[in-house]
Amino acid sequence: MDLGFYALQLLTGLAYASTLFLLSVGLSLIFGAMGIVNFAHGSFYMLGAYFLYAFTRGQADGFWGGLLLVLATGFVIGAFVERIFIRRVYARPEEYQILLTYALLLIIEDLVRFFFGTGYRAFPMPQAFAGPLFLLGTPFPSYYLFLIGLAAVSALLLGIFLYRTRLGAWIRAATQDREMLEALGVNVPLLYTVVFGVGIALAALGGAALLPMQAATPGMAVDAVINAFIVVVIGGLASVWGALLGAVLIGLVQALGVLFLPEWAMVFPFALMALTLLLRPWGLLGRPPAVRT
Amino acid sequence: MKGWFAPLLLALGLALAQSQQPIKIGALFILSGNFAGYGKSGSQGAQLAAEEINARGGVLGRPIQLIVVDDQGNPDVGVREARRLILQEKVDFLFGIDSSSVSLAVAPLTDEYKIPLVVTHAATPNLTEQCRPYVFRTSNNARMDSWAAAALAATLPVKRWANIGPDYEFGRVSWQDFITRLKQLRPDVEVVSEQWPRFGSTDYASFITALMRARPEAVFSTLWAGDMVIFARQAKQFGFFNQVKYFVNPVGAALEVLVPLGKETPEGLLVSARYWFLYPNTERNKAFVEAYRKRFGEYPSYNAQEAYAGLHMLARAIEKARSTQADAVKRAFEADGGLVYDAPEGRKRMRPEDHQVFEGLVWGYTKHTPDYPFAILERMRIVPATDTIYPTQCKR
Repeated sequence: MDLGFYALQLLTGLAYASTLFLLSVGLSLIFGAMGIVNFAHGSFYMLGAYFLYAFTRGQADGFWGGLLLVLATGFVIGAFVERIFIRRVYARPEEYQILLTYALLLIIEDLVRFFFGTGYRAFPMPQAFAGPLFLLGTPFPSYYLFLIGLAAVSALLLGIFLYRTRLGAWIRAATQDREMLEALGVNVPLLYTVVFGVGIALAALGGAALLPMQAATPGMAVDAVINAFIVVVIGGLASVWGALLGAVLIGLVQALGVLFLPEWAMVFPFALMALTLLLRPWGLLGRPPAVRT
Repeated sequence: MKGWFAPLLLALGLALAQSQQPIKIGALFILSGNFAGYGKSGSQGAQLAAEEINARGGVLGRPIQLIVVDDQGNPDVGVREARRLILQEKVDFLFGIDSSSVSLAVAPLTDEYKIPLVVTHAATPNLTEQCRPYVFRTSNNARMDSWAAAALAATLPVKRWANIGPDYEFGRVSWQDFITRLKQLRPDVEVVSEQWPRFGSTDYASFITALMRARPEAVFSTLWAGDMVIFARQAKQFGFFNQVKYFVNPVGAALEVLVPLGKETPEGLLVSARYWFLYPNTERNKAFVEAYRKRFGEYPSYNAQEAYAGLHMLARAIEKARSTQADAVKRAFEADGGLVYDAPEGRKRMRPEDHQVFEGLVWGYTKHTPDYPFAILERMRIVPATDTIYPTQCKR
C-alpha cells in the first residue's frame, strides 16, 4: 500500500512537471535563440486557456479541436507579436525589451479582463477523462496521464525539430553566433519569427491543456511567468533539456516535500532555485558565460 | 427692494452649496489580478448603497460621493492610495478593503489623519484587536467564522480531522482558531494531517494525495477564491470527496467560488459565506437581491452585501453623530451598547470595545437544483451571533 502511494505521489509530481515544462520551454528557447527575456510569456499561456474556452464555448466536446486551434493561433499570435513589437528592440539596451514585454503583460491582462471579465472560467473535464483510473487500488485522475504524455511528446518533437532538422540547426546556431549565421545567408529575422511563434504556441498549448484541471483567471499570467522563471533558472536558460530537467525537479520536490515536510512544502522550489544560483548560477544544463577579453 | 435681494440670494446659494458639499468616501478594493471578482462585487454593493442613500436625500442633507480605487491587494499600493485619497481627494472616510494585509497596513493612517476606516471584507481578527479608535469592521471576521465552524463540527459524528489552507496569515490563524475551539468543545478529536499550499497555487494534486493518505474523516479548509475553485476540481478527480465524510469551509459558499464551479461543485460540502443571498427569507433581503440584480445583472455575493450594509451602517452613524467628524462618528458607533443595523442578512451589532460587528452566520450543505446554474445551500444551519462572541482585549 505504501509503495503504491509513493509511486502515485511521484506520478502527481510528474504531471505537475509536465505543465511546467510546456510553460517554460518556450521562455528558454526564446531567450536562447533571441536573447529576449519575455515577461509576457505567462500572458500567452493565459491566452491559451482563454482561447480554448472561447473556441469551444466552454463545452467539453470541442476539446480536441480546440487544443489544435489554440496551438495554431498561438503560433500566429507569437509570430505577429514578434514582427510588430519584439523586432524593434533587438538593437536596443535590455531595459527596452523588459519594458516592452512587461507592457505586453499588462495590456494582455487588461484585454482579457475586458473580453472575459474578472471571474474564473472553468472548463469541464473532457468525456474521455471523466472517471479516475485506479492505480494499485487508489484513484488517480486519468487526465494527469494525458498531461504527462502531452509533455513527453512535445519534448520529443521539439528535440527532433532542434537536433534533426536544418531549421533546428539554424536555431541552435543562432544561440551561438547570430552574425555568422547571417553571413552564411540565413534569413535570421524570419528565423526569429518562427522561434517566437513556436515558443508562444507551446505556452498557449500548456495553458489550454491545463484548463480542465484548473481555471482561467486574468491573474494567472503573473503566477505562470514566475513559475517559468524558476524552472528556467534551475534548468539553465537557453536549454530545452534544462527546462525539462528543471520542471521535473520542481514537480518531484513539490510532491515529495508535501509528504515528508508538509509545513515547508512551498519553500522547496525556491530553496532549489537559491541553491542552483549559489552553486551553478548558469543553471544545471546551461552554459557558463564565455569569458570576454 | 432689488438692491438687497440679489446679495441675499447669492448668500443663500452659497450656504446651500456649502451644505450640499458631498460626503466623500474613499473605497479601496482589489480591482485587478486574481481577486478582482471580490473587489468588483464589493464596489458594486457600496455603489448601490450610495445610490439609495442619495436618492432619499443623502446624509445630513449632503450626498455621498464614492471614490473607488484599486489597491491591488498589495499593502504598499493600499497605503499609497489611501494617503492620496486623504490628502488629494480630501475624503472624510476610508472604506472597504478586501485583503487582511492591506487593512493592517492602512489602519495606522486613521490615527495619523483622524480619518475613520470602515472595513467590510478583510477578516483577520488582529485588525480589530489592535483597538484603534477610528477603525471599524462591519463584517464578521475570520475568528467568528472559525468558531461557527467549530460549533457545527462539534456536532458531527467524526473524530479524525485534517486541514488544507492557504499558507499565510488568514489560513494559519483560521485553522488555529478552529481546532483550538473544536478541542474545547470536543476533547476527543485528533488532527491527522495539515497541508499548506501556497496562496494562489494552481496545482493541488500532491496535497490532495497526501491528505487522502492520512485518511481523515473530515477536512477543514479556508481555501478561497480561485484556490477553492481549482482545488475542488482537482480533488474531485481523485475521488477525494467520496473518501472524506465532511468537508468544512467557512468561505466556500462565496458566489465567486460557486458560480465558476457551476454544476461541478461536489454536493454535500458544509460551507458558509458571510452572507448567502437566499437567506433570510425576508422581504428586506428579497428586495435587496432584486435591486442588486436589476442594477448589476448578477446575484449579490457576500462581499457585495457586506459593502452595501457597511455603507448604510456608516451613513447611520454619521446621521446619529450629526457630523462627519471622526470623534463624533466614533461615539455614534459606540453609543447605547453599539450601533445596530438591520442588514439584508439580518441584525448587525457593533461591539463598542473593539468596533467589531457580531451577527448570525449561515451555513449549509451544497446541493444542485434545476433553478440555479450553480450549487445552492440546503439543510441550512444558522449559528447565532452569541456562539461567535470571543473575548476582546480592547477597552473603551
